[in-house]
Amino acid sequence: MAAYAKPVEILIDELGRLPGVGPKSAQRIAFHVLKTDKVDAQRLADALIAVKDRVSFCERCFNVAEGPECGICNDDRRDDTVLCVVEEPKDIAAMEKTGAFRGRYHVLLGHINPLEGIGPDQLKIRELALRVASEPIDEVILAMNPNIEGETTAAFLSSKILAPFEITVTRLASGLPVGGDLEYADELTLGRALEGRRSLS
Amino acid sequence: MQLRRVWLQDFRSHESLEIELDLGLTAVLGDNGVGKTNLLEAIALLSTLRSFRGAPTESLIRRGASEAIIRAEGVRDERDVLIEVALSRQGRTRVQVNRQRVQRTQDLLGALRVMVFAPDDLAMVKDGPAERRRYLDELMVVLDPRSASLQSDLDRVLKQRNALLKQCKGRLDEAAAITLDVWDDKLAGLASELTEERERLVAILGPRLQQSYAVLAGEVVPLEARYERSWSARSLGEALVDGRDDDVRRGVSLIGPHRDELDLRLDGLASRTEASQGEQRTLALAMRLAAHQLATDRLGEAPLLLLDDVLSELDPDRAAALLAHLPPGQSVITSASGLPEPTRPDAVVRVERDGTVALAPATIDGRVDDAPTGELGLSDRETTS
Repeated sequence: MAAYAKPVEILIDELGRLPGVGPKSAQRIAFHVLKTDKVDAQRLADALIAVKDRVSFCERCFNVAEGPECGICNDDRRDDTVLCVVEEPKDIAAMEKTGAFRGRYHVLLGHINPLEGIGPDQLKIRELALRVASEPIDEVILAMNPNIEGETTAAFLSSKILAPFEITVTRLASGLPVGGDLEYADELTLGRALEGRRSLS
Repeated sequence: MQLRRVWLQDFRSHESLEIELDLGLTAVLGDNGVGKTNLLEAIALLSTLRSFRGAPTESLIRRGASEAIIRAEGVRDERDVLIEVALSRQGRTRVQVNRQRVQRTQDLLGALRVMVFAPDDLAMVKDGPAERRRYLDELMVVLDPRSASLQSDLDRVLKQRNALLKQCKGRLDEAAAITLDVWDDKLAGLASELTEERERLVAILGPRLQQSYAVLAGEVVPLEARYERSWSARSLGEALVDGRDDDVRRGVSLIGPHRDELDLRLDGLASRTEASQGEQRTLALAMRLAAHQLATDRLGEAPLLLLDDVLSELDPDRAAALLAHLPPGQSVITSASGLPEPTRPDAVVRVERDGTVALAPATIDGRVDDAPTGELGLSDRETTS
C-alpha cells in the first residue's frame, strides 16, 4: 500500500528515524527535497557524508572534533584545574555560549538509563576517572540535566567515582530563570531555588 | 469552580451537544447508550485531561472527526471562567482557560476540581491493592497538585530500577551493584516521601470513612482503615539492602510504595474477601464520599461531583441514603431510570437517542414523562437541595 514512489517512501522512512522528526514532518521534508534543485540536495548529502568522514569524537573529552582532539582540548588558554562534565556535546555549546566557563570539559555521551540498556560501562566514565587521576584537576562540575536520569548519573559520579579523589565536586544550581518573574515560576523550580538560596550578608 | 454550561463537539458519540447545569444537583436522564457517561467523562476530562475510564485520548474522538472539543463555562470566586480543551488525533491536547493557552498540564490542575463516582469504583474494594493505592494517590493530587510530580518521578525511578534488575538476569555483578546503590538511594528518598504522605492521608481519612459508611448503611459499623507498608525495617533504604538478593533473583523491585496496601476492615473482617457485595458497594461509595468531604474541607470549595449510574447498583434504601446525604456543592448524576423518591433534583436534563437535549422541569422522581406535579416539584426544590 505504498502511497508514493519507492525512493520517496525510503526517504520519508529514513527522515522519520531522526530524533524529533515525526511521520508528518518527515513527509514535509521529503517533498521539500523533491522540489529543490539537485545542487541543494547534493550539498545536503555531501554535508551528511562529510560529517561522518571528517568528524569524530575527541580522544580526550569526547566532544565532537575534526582531528584527534577538539578545539577546546587544543586550546592552551583553558584552565586545566576545572573540569565540567556534561551528557552530550551539545551541552558544551550551551555552556560555551555563557562565556562564563574557562575550564575544560568531559562528555559522557549519555546518561545512566537502564530502560535503554545504558549503564556506566556504556558511558565515558572510566575515561573520566583516568583524567581526574592524571590531570591537575581541582574541581569537577557535574552539569547533568536536572531530570531523574541526569540526577542519578550525577549521584553515581560523585558517590562512586569521584569520592576517592581529593577534589571538589560541585553541581550546577537549579533555580529561577534570569529575567523571569517569580509569579511565573513553577512550584518545583521555586522550591529548588528556595533550597539553594544564598546568603547576601 | 462550578460549571454552568458544557458544549461537546465530536466527543465520543456526541457530534454536538450543549447542556446547562444547575449549581445544585442536575439529573441527566436518558436510555442506555445515549451518551450520558460520555458527558460525565468530558466534564471530568476538563479537570484532569484524562479519561476517568482510562481510555486513550484517540478513542475519545468521534469516529470520522479529527478533533474533539470540550468547552465549559463556569464561575469561580464570582468570576466567569471558560475552559476549552481540544483533543486531536495527531499532536498534543490543547487547553485554554479564558482564551489563554495553558502550556503545562500542571497549570490546569486545580482550576476545576472533579470527583467521579462510577460503578467501576467497586474495584477499589474488590480488586488488588493497586486500586486502593490509586485512590490515595489521586486524592493526593486533588488536595495538592504538586504530588503529581512526586508520583511520576517515583514511577520513573521504579521503571529504571526494574530495568536494571532485569538486566542482571538473577546475578548481580560488582558494576551493577554500585549502579543499583545509586538507584536505591533515589528510590528510598522519593518513596519515603510518598509513603509518609499516604500515611498522613489515611490518618485523616479514617474517621471520615467511618462516618460516610455509617450514613450510607444506616447503622454504625466499625470500619478500620490502615496503611500497610511492604517493608518492616526502620527505613526503606535499609530494607532495600536486606531485600536486594530477592529483588535480583526475581528481577523486580519487591518492596516500596508500589507494593503497599490500604487495608480496609469492616467489623474486623477484610472487606476485600469477607464483606458482602452490598457492603463492598457501600464501602466504595463511602470512600468517594469521604474523599469528597476531605477535599471540600481542605480546599474550602466542594469539588464538582459526578455520579455515573451509581444508583442502579444499590438497593433502594442505600440509594436513597446516598441521595439524601449528597454533600453540598454542585453534582451531576446520570440514570436510565430516574431518581428514587423523595429526591428532587434542581434541574433535569433528558438526553435523547439522536443527541438532542431537553431541559425538563424538576419533578418528584426526576422523570419527565409522568410530571403532573411539576409545579410542586419546582416549588419544593429550595427545601430539598
